[in-house]
Amino acid sequence: MATKLLQFLTSRPSSIIIRRWAQSDSEKRLVVFDPFTNIKKKDKKTYLDLIKIFEEKDNRRRGHVEFIYAALNRMEEFGVHKDLETYKSLLNVLPKGKFIPTNIFQAEFLHYPKQQQCAVDLLEQMEDNRVMPDFEMEQILLNTFGRRGIPLRKFWRMMYWMPKFKNLSPWHLPNELPKDAMELAMLAIQRITSVDADTKVQLWQTDEIEASLDKTWIVTAQSPSQKVLLEEQPVDEALVIKGPYRVYLRDQSVTYFILLGKTRQEEVDDRDIDDVSNLEKPIGIPGMTGTPKLPVVKCTVHEQDDGTVVAVCATGTSSRDSLLSWIRLLEKNGNPQLANIPVIFTLRSPSMDLSVLESQPTVKEESSFKERE
Amino acid sequence: MHLARRIFIVKYKHQDFCKKYRFISRRFESSQTQPEIKEEKFDFEDLKVVERIERRKPAIPPFMKDCMVSIFNKDLLAYPEVLNKEEMEDMNNRAARLETIFSDPTKTLNDRQNALKSCSMYAAPLKLTEGGLAFNTTERIKYLETISSDVELAKTLSDHWVSLQALNIGLKPEHMQKLIPDLSLGDRTISLCTKEKTSIRITQSDFRTTAELDSQSIWRIKGEKICLNGSGYFLVLCKIEGDRLCTFLVHPNAEGTSYNKPYVTFDNTPGTPLEGTTDSALSNVMSKSRLDTAVISYSILKNMIMKISKYVRNKFVNGKPLANIPTIRNKVGESLLTLYVAESMAYFTAGLLDEYENPDADLEIAMCRCYTAYAGLQEVLKLLNVPGVEGVEREWNEYLNNYRELMVKDEIIDAVNMFIALTSVFHAGKNLATEVKQMRNPLFHPGFILKKVLQDRHQEKDDPKLTLHLEEHLHPTLQIQAKMLEYAVLRMKFACETLLTRHGVDIVSKLTELERLALAGTEVLAMTSVLARASRAYCIGLRNAEIEMKLAQFFVIQSRERVRQLILDIDRGEYTNLDHYRNEFGRKVLDTGTILVEKPTERVFW
Repeated sequence: MATKLLQFLTSRPSSIIIRRWAQSDSEKRLVVFDPFTNIKKKDKKTYLDLIKIFEEKDNRRRGHVEFIYAALNRMEEFGVHKDLETYKSLLNVLPKGKFIPTNIFQAEFLHYPKQQQCAVDLLEQMEDNRVMPDFEMEQILLNTFGRRGIPLRKFWRMMYWMPKFKNLSPWHLPNELPKDAMELAMLAIQRITSVDADTKVQLWQTDEIEASLDKTWIVTAQSPSQKVLLEEQPVDEALVIKGPYRVYLRDQSVTYFILLGKTRQEEVDDRDIDDVSNLEKPIGIPGMTGTPKLPVVKCTVHEQDDGTVVAVCATGTSSRDSLLSWIRLLEKNGNPQLANIPVIFTLRSPSMDLSVLESQPTVKEESSFKERE
Repeated sequence: MHLARRIFIVKYKHQDFCKKYRFISRRFESSQTQPEIKEEKFDFEDLKVVERIERRKPAIPPFMKDCMVSIFNKDLLAYPEVLNKEEMEDMNNRAARLETIFSDPTKTLNDRQNALKSCSMYAAPLKLTEGGLAFNTTERIKYLETISSDVELAKTLSDHWVSLQALNIGLKPEHMQKLIPDLSLGDRTISLCTKEKTSIRITQSDFRTTAELDSQSIWRIKGEKICLNGSGYFLVLCKIEGDRLCTFLVHPNAEGTSYNKPYVTFDNTPGTPLEGTTDSALSNVMSKSRLDTAVISYSILKNMIMKISKYVRNKFVNGKPLANIPTIRNKVGESLLTLYVAESMAYFTAGLLDEYENPDADLEIAMCRCYTAYAGLQEVLKLLNVPGVEGVEREWNEYLNNYRELMVKDEIIDAVNMFIALTSVFHAGKNLATEVKQMRNPLFHPGFILKKVLQDRHQEKDDPKLTLHLEEHLHPTLQIQAKMLEYAVLRMKFACETLLTRHGVDIVSKLTELERLALAGTEVLAMTSVLARASRAYCIGLRNAEIEMKLAQFFVIQSRERVRQLILDIDRGEYTNLDHYRNEFGRKVLDTGTILVEKPTERVFW
């Protein structure tokens, strides 16, 4: 019976009250107190003030469930949807003690279902917004609905799963993402370049290049091995700037570009793997480790099938001019070889015609147009 | 009584017994090889030529390499005896002269160097006619043990000896003759320059010192090396013509040489090439520096034991002598065991090098180095735990520092282990190639596989049938230990076969498993040399031989367990022996550059 009842309650949309408001436009008019609409300054302080006003206005706190639903809907507007303290004060609107079942039947048959559902919805919203409850919240729920209340069970489940999910991503992000695009780009580039722990992420300004039109920032990353790979690029084959690609940091996205070169040849292994009659014999001279031969085959993480990633960046404007400045800055900062190698821009949605580094001797326009198409 | 005698006689008459007896005796005969003394040819007209005669037996197959495929040369259980009475006396006299100087702490470095000069130590590897001693490896070890009281001097001398031998085989005789007066005096030693910095760029080769011929046909060396000593001659290993190796002699104060400890830089430095030799001959000579390192290492341990026993004797804790504390006795006892084993291995290997024609003992030399470094360092650390010794005073710390430095001299222990393992699988691969190929393609060879399953059933149960009868070549007291050694030897082939079958040619990159093979091989050599030495000592009645017997028995019992575990781990593979997981942990740390684990105080929610 209890489960049926529970199913019935949970199957209904949580915005049951909202629907009543929606209906309120038609014949059955309900006077609804929605104080959140008229506030001009929408922030955490005013939000908490409104809750306080509601609590103090009426000793009996009539219409508290409706108030909580209304408040939950407005949270994002006030920018408090990720704030634990607000959720707690919202939960505190429910009176303590009254909803605690006092006998076995009450406990079994969902005592005060509407209120319990309201609290569960609040917790659900917290979960959706990845706000992790704390033990004070447990106490509030315990004092409100008792040990057998559905909200408390929901709370326990949340406390079981949410910590497990919280750090599951190998790329850790701060609880609150930075608002500044540049800092966000820094995080994004750090995430992309985490494949090579040596990579150095740097912040450059296009101001350093006099000829630049876009005065903006560039977050660039290059590891020492990438520098070497760039140095070893053949001069007669152009490097390619590819992008824009998108990387997501939670709900934010950052656009980035890569500088792609040629990949060294794959190691050809034509040995008979079963024939052990002529294994490699070590040189027995003490101190003589390794081989005198040059390693010429693909061996780093930067060398992928479609090319060698020699640098990666995100710029403030993602414009072609800022990328041009990036190439020049790269050349200035330890990649002198760039002066000799042509660079092709193959942006997927170019706003202007192809712009090519002026210093380069040849432009392979055909290939670049192909890329563009 | 009568009845017993009757049964006994009947049993004796039994045909089976006779067969068995015949069998044993035949085996015994077959295992003996008659020493052949090679006659040296003299030019009797020129009376100045009084060269040392080397008595060498005909060449034998390489000992440890064969052990890897479970072929055991039982003759070697007699422990090699290289020196005759005169040579022995000569050597002891010379060593005693050195000992008086080197054991006296009041003597200065100069005194020691003078002593070395007066004993012709700097010219020791040279021929008698060239003013040297023409010493063999056994004598070399003996002298080096004495000199090892001064570790730095011993290291320099070791490099000098190795280089001299390399020059001897590499330089043209007339060129060598010119150098001898300078080199044998000892004022200028030769330093080995083989090691280089680890490359820091992905497109750099591991070995970067190169030599090129200039327009005047002079070889010019370019590069940087790690070197102990900045003065004197350098013997530099260089890359020429792409990827060929060649060694060059660089004279003192040659142009373009600069020394900034421990790096020596050559900038277009002229060098004399050692052209008269091959890579393998050169590596044979140079690998002796491993043996030297082992000898210096265990000599440090020996000096430390002597010093500890002196120190402990008049110290008291709770009114009782320190020497009565069982833990301290245990530590000293174990150190003695390690010293005994290391010494046995070194002299055993020296015997192999000195007693036979064309000796091939690279593997044994590397094993000496490996065992001494591993086991010795543990003992040094244990000894530093004696109350009052624990690293408070500089002199005790110096033992540890010296030992640690020797452990990584020329190369790290991993590199030595890899050399042992790769040489072993190279040899085993040659011997087992057909079988391995069949085992890796079982469906093409069903008959063979069936046979192999039946053949290996004892090995799979970790209980091989002991068929080598090694106990017949040792004192009967060591019967149980001989069986243990035999078990270890028989398991080696199984281990090699397992590895080769599992990985095929890729075995050369399975370093963790190869390391196990190297360690197991090292234990086998250690067991063999210890048993042989103890048995010999007991049979000829050396002083305290019964202690040697006990040491040997004790060591073999322990060592057998280690070998058993190592080979079981090889057999079980990377998931059961947990290599895979270790590898993963390491990879994660190296990939991320962080420690990964959070502090125990950290939590997700409050």
